[in-house]
Amino acid sequence: MTRIKRGYIARRRRKKISLFASSFRGAHSILTRTITQQRIRALVSAYRDRDRKKRDFRRLWITRINAVIRGVGVSYSYSRLIHNLYKKQLLLNRKILAQIAISNRNCLYMISNEIRK
Amino acid sequence: MAAQAAATTFNGNLKKALAGLRRINLEGLRWRVFDAKGQVLGRLASQISTVIQGKDKPTYAPNRDDGDMCIVINAKDVCVTGRKLTDKVYYWHTGYVGHLKERSLKDQMAKDPTEVIRKAVLRMLPRNKLRDDRDRKLRIFADSEHPFGDRPLEPYMMPPRKVREMRPRVRRALIRAQKKAEEQEQGGCQRKGRKREAKTEVAA
Repeated sequence: MTRIKRGYIARRRRKKISLFASSFRGAHSILTRTITQQRIRALVSAYRDRDRKKRDFRRLWITRINAVIRGVGVSYSYSRLIHNLYKKQLLLNRKILAQIAISNRNCLYMISNEIRK
Repeated sequence: MAAQAAATTFNGNLKKALAGLRRINLEGLRWRVFDAKGQVLGRLASQISTVIQGKDKPTYAPNRDDGDMCIVINAKDVCVTGRKLTDKVYYWHTGYVGHLKERSLKDQMAKDPTEVIRKAVLRMLPRNKLRDDRDRKLRIFADSEHPFGDRPLEPYMMPPRKVREMRPRVRRALIRAQKKAEEQEQGGCQRKGRKREAKTEVAA
């Protein structure tokens, strides 16, 4: 067989991978073997967390709405608010409710009072 | 400092009360005052832990600590139900083999009543990296004096509580104790008149 040097093939491949990991911390952006491993871990995390992100944000919105709604009165809570929303068939989702809670608390109180009747 | 000058009436551990205040940044926090007099221990601790985590604010974020500063006064007047005063035991292990130590609520209240509330609240906070910072925001005082008088304080209104009615056995024990107290009073004031007939009436 003729002799074939590997030459620059490996270097080209690793350059692409190290471009991905160029902003990692410490040895994770410098050493080639760790770069390959860390890139794989980063992509796995990204894949898993794209679905987690939807769950996490919904949790956050629910916590925030709960925090504001409990200030309405005695024994009023997020669960009762959502029950009333569904009864009156109001289509506001939790993201919008949380934004309203942050920016304009009185507006949320008005909505909840309207729904309660 | 103006705080220290105004707080000369506060005899207690001033250094401990003001410890670590510099580490807490973001002085846009409110200072809430909880009065523990006559409150049940666990229910009070539950409310304190929600306030300390910042879970009553719409800008809550789980990765940063944004809770208000909580001051608890009258810690020695906190109540517990049932037989917990004698029966609730705090356990801890020193690390050496066989050295499981214990201390009952009664002894702990005699030793340091602020630790009771602190343990209760700390064990209700989530066990993460923010727990120590949240602990630093909690200031507990056994009596009603505190050195933070010049800050803008807000008293915290506890939500109203449905106290369930007494179980029949406990109610009977209470009635018996009341009757006994009445008998003792009657027996005491009639012993001065030395009337044995009154004693037989009371016994019947």
